[in-house]
Amino acid sequence: MSNTLIDSDAVDAVEPLEGDRDARVGSSFGQFAARKVGGAVVSMVMVVLLGFFAFRILPGDPVRTMTRGRVMSAEQLAAMKHQLGLDKSVLQQFWIYLKDLPQGKLGTSYVYKRPVSDLIMDHLGPTLLLTSIAAFVAIVLGLWVGQKAAWARGSWFDRTHTATALILWSVPTFWLGLILLLVFAGWLQILPPGGYDSGDGSTGLAHVLDVAQHLVLPVITMVAVTYAQYLLVMRASLIEEMDAPYLVTARAKGLREDLVRRRHAVPNALLPTVTLVFLHLGGLIAGAVTTETVFSWPGLGWLTYSALDGPDLPLLQGTFVVFSAIVILMNLIADLIYRFLDPRVRAL
Amino acid sequence: MRSPAHRGVRPIAATATASAVLALAGVPALASTASAVDEGGKHILKVAYSSTIDTFNPFVSIYLTPTGINRMVYENLVQYSAKDGSPIPGLAESWDTSKDGKTWTFHIRPGMKWSDGQPITSADPQWTYTQMMTNEAMSQANGSLVTNFAKVSAPDPDTLVITMKEGTAVNPGIEIPVVPKHVWSKLKNPAKFDNSKDVVGSGPYVLESYKPSQQVVLKPNPNFWRGKPKMDGVTYVNFKNGDAAVQGLKAGTIDLIGGLEVPQFDALKDAKGVTVNSGSGRRFTGLGLNPGATTKDGTPMGDGNPVLKDPVVRRAIRQAINIPALMDKMLQGHGTLATSFVPAVFPQWHWHPDKSKLATYEPDAANAALDQAGYKKGPDGIRLGKDGKPIVLRLLGDNSDSTDKQMADYIMPWLKKIGIKVDLQMSDGDAISVDLQKANYDMYFTGWSLGSDPDFQLGINTCSALPVKPNGEGGTSMDFWCDKKFDKLYEEQHAELDQGKREQIVQKMLAMHYNAAPSIDFWYGDSLEAYRSDHVAGMIKMPKKGGMLTGQSGYWAVWGAHPANAQDVKKAESASNPTGSAGNDDGGGMGGGAWAGIIAAAVVVLGGGGFLASKKKKPADDRE
Repeated sequence: MSNTLIDSDAVDAVEPLEGDRDARVGSSFGQFAARKVGGAVVSMVMVVLLGFFAFRILPGDPVRTMTRGRVMSAEQLAAMKHQLGLDKSVLQQFWIYLKDLPQGKLGTSYVYKRPVSDLIMDHLGPTLLLTSIAAFVAIVLGLWVGQKAAWARGSWFDRTHTATALILWSVPTFWLGLILLLVFAGWLQILPPGGYDSGDGSTGLAHVLDVAQHLVLPVITMVAVTYAQYLLVMRASLIEEMDAPYLVTARAKGLREDLVRRRHAVPNALLPTVTLVFLHLGGLIAGAVTTETVFSWPGLGWLTYSALDGPDLPLLQGTFVVFSAIVILMNLIADLIYRFLDPRVRAL
Repeated sequence: MRSPAHRGVRPIAATATASAVLALAGVPALASTASAVDEGGKHILKVAYSSTIDTFNPFVSIYLTPTGINRMVYENLVQYSAKDGSPIPGLAESWDTSKDGKTWTFHIRPGMKWSDGQPITSADPQWTYTQMMTNEAMSQANGSLVTNFAKVSAPDPDTLVITMKEGTAVNPGIEIPVVPKHVWSKLKNPAKFDNSKDVVGSGPYVLESYKPSQQVVLKPNPNFWRGKPKMDGVTYVNFKNGDAAVQGLKAGTIDLIGGLEVPQFDALKDAKGVTVNSGSGRRFTGLGLNPGATTKDGTPMGDGNPVLKDPVVRRAIRQAINIPALMDKMLQGHGTLATSFVPAVFPQWHWHPDKSKLATYEPDAANAALDQAGYKKGPDGIRLGKDGKPIVLRLLGDNSDSTDKQMADYIMPWLKKIGIKVDLQMSDGDAISVDLQKANYDMYFTGWSLGSDPDFQLGINTCSALPVKPNGEGGTSMDFWCDKKFDKLYEEQHAELDQGKREQIVQKMLAMHYNAAPSIDFWYGDSLEAYRSDHVAGMIKMPKKGGMLTGQSGYWAVWGAHPANAQDVKKAESASNPTGSAGNDDGGGMGGGAWAGIIAAAVVVLGGGGFLASKKKKPADDRE
């Protein structure tokens, strides 16, 4: 899922900000921040409203779908409809949803009969663990290879690494995950085929190692399909810098080539990358759905996938709101941090 | 402008990453072929599950996996036999029925105990059933099973009397899990109790703990009346992905897996230490037709093509479909041809008419019948309905079920041969269920899993199952078919206490349904499953002969399981590999297909890489 973000985001990451820079010269950071936060709040309100109706306009009767193939009388079906509040009109349901929202309530799951917010909290930990490790590895790997590739552009290193990254990026996540499963879990049998831990009740370091083993394949999968975007942006922005006059100055000072790259070129090239990193972090968490499903990783992606089976509308809507909130928050951070990092964007 | 340093750094980083991965992979106690069965010296049966677990509260849970797990935890008053699913003693060691079928007296086996040591008495089923009758929230899962109950009483600790509103031949003590009154009656709101930890039960295993979306741990119940089970525990492990579970079975982290697809099943046939089982299933697959839907009071509803009201057309459709060929294509031998909606695993109910009474693939005969009934062919070969319009029937297919589209692709040309055009409409399952509820369809792919008593399935084919309102509300009808004669037979069998006579009535009803053809039943698909025969033995199939291990309506497979000894392993090996030649040399069990996939992937990656690399010869292009 996150793969699809690369083109548009890479462009958006810079362009709106440049527009802002031209139009809002002279505005204070406070005003700028207020405007951005305001925009984020408006987006969030839209998400909350759309989240409710988007899932309600889909055809289908959750009660019939959930009880399909089960011995059920018409009375039982009606009673269940009543219990889930589905006998009320959509507007009445919406009103209940709005009333509960300020208290942090996202409704009650149709399937699990538990508050959606509790279910989300239960599954948030594993998702954060998986995505933060995967994001960290992908960013470090992508940026590192990207700057090396740019500095040696056209070389064997550049061509193989860029090509490999692009191919991995275009490979479907589930396919790569399944191939890794087949090789490492089925054939070599050195890594587990899925799950969070082996459930043997281990504690302490043994448990940490157990979870770490279970993380290897999902992390490799997520890294493989995402690191290309960091690599490419880093590579492109470093190539932009490579002919800049200040590098000539640096070399004229007699600095080693390695230091010219590390101390002068890379810090400047990192600027557009920072924004990109935050934009992608939001997408990455939403993109965990496929990886978590392939590796039975009990996170938010797993929960979303399970909710589709129901169809558990309140749960789908809850995960939709949470995923959207993360993306909006990350966009906001990207906006603010960019202004903070790049003096050119700040008020003159 | 190359950095001289990169040559040194790259190998170091690569080595560090590789050693980290290998170090993790090498940590002991993981995914080793030494088996999950021997974990900490204990013999644990590990079962893969993929479906939803809503709750373990047996009054509320409606999903397959928790319902199945509760079958291990709670013994019913009356159990299904492993042999053919007929009622056999559970908590009740015997029962008597009054002549009118209205009073059922159950004699509870004395001396039984719950897993916590408390005695099991008639007060337990009495409390359980009464809750379901009087508390709507407690009737969510099995409420329909007690609608005919008038009163449940416990005159003494060993006797339970159920008084029915109407006489019935269906044993009322079957299927409903009986919970311990001393635990549940103390709860403030028993319908909200999640029942997922240290559960007190009466079955062979009891639920010890549950980690949502990860695993369910059961431990043996030493007080189970048939004796303590032989495994040290059963763990259900969640796999959202069937292929991953298959790898788990190969690696030995999983011992039993059901719901396999044909390619997975075939790939596991030769895997070392694995035995596959193609067990007769209790689900039928077929084509549902819209025979002219109406509400209970006869108001027409839906937009079904009126031509399907004619049983001649419905029967002609059956004759035009080459069902054996279709089954061969779809199931590759893993199924039994259907005669009705009652599967062959229930031999006492299954319709077994003389072969001459069953239609075969005869498009010519179908054409002749349609000609005779006055459906003339138009200029394009498509027949015209009584209204003069060409007969075009919509067929609803579910996108999420890969077999629907495949079946439709075979059926469409077959029906064209008899002058019926099919308009295939693929959509999602939710949209289809709304269309079905409102009778807005002509044909759709149908299927139900049956319990061992056909009463419910027969009941949803009666007129009383038709909806109350034209939008489908208040109805549970299988195919909107209604025939008063069928209803009369339904009432008769429902009250017939003589098993032999009741079976005969059911046979008559199924023949009637066949002749009316509101649905065309294709086959009963096998349940494809596999288990580690080098870890576990003794699992009892249901039905015992040719039946299945997973998805049973009893606890037999898991109850019978014991750790495999050398003799069991030898027996399993010779059974799955009678020639003794194949199956031992695959060194971990990766099939040829898998290798082909990996090689293809490598070719794509390397070839693609080379292609892109060659495209990037001009670095100036990067600058734009």
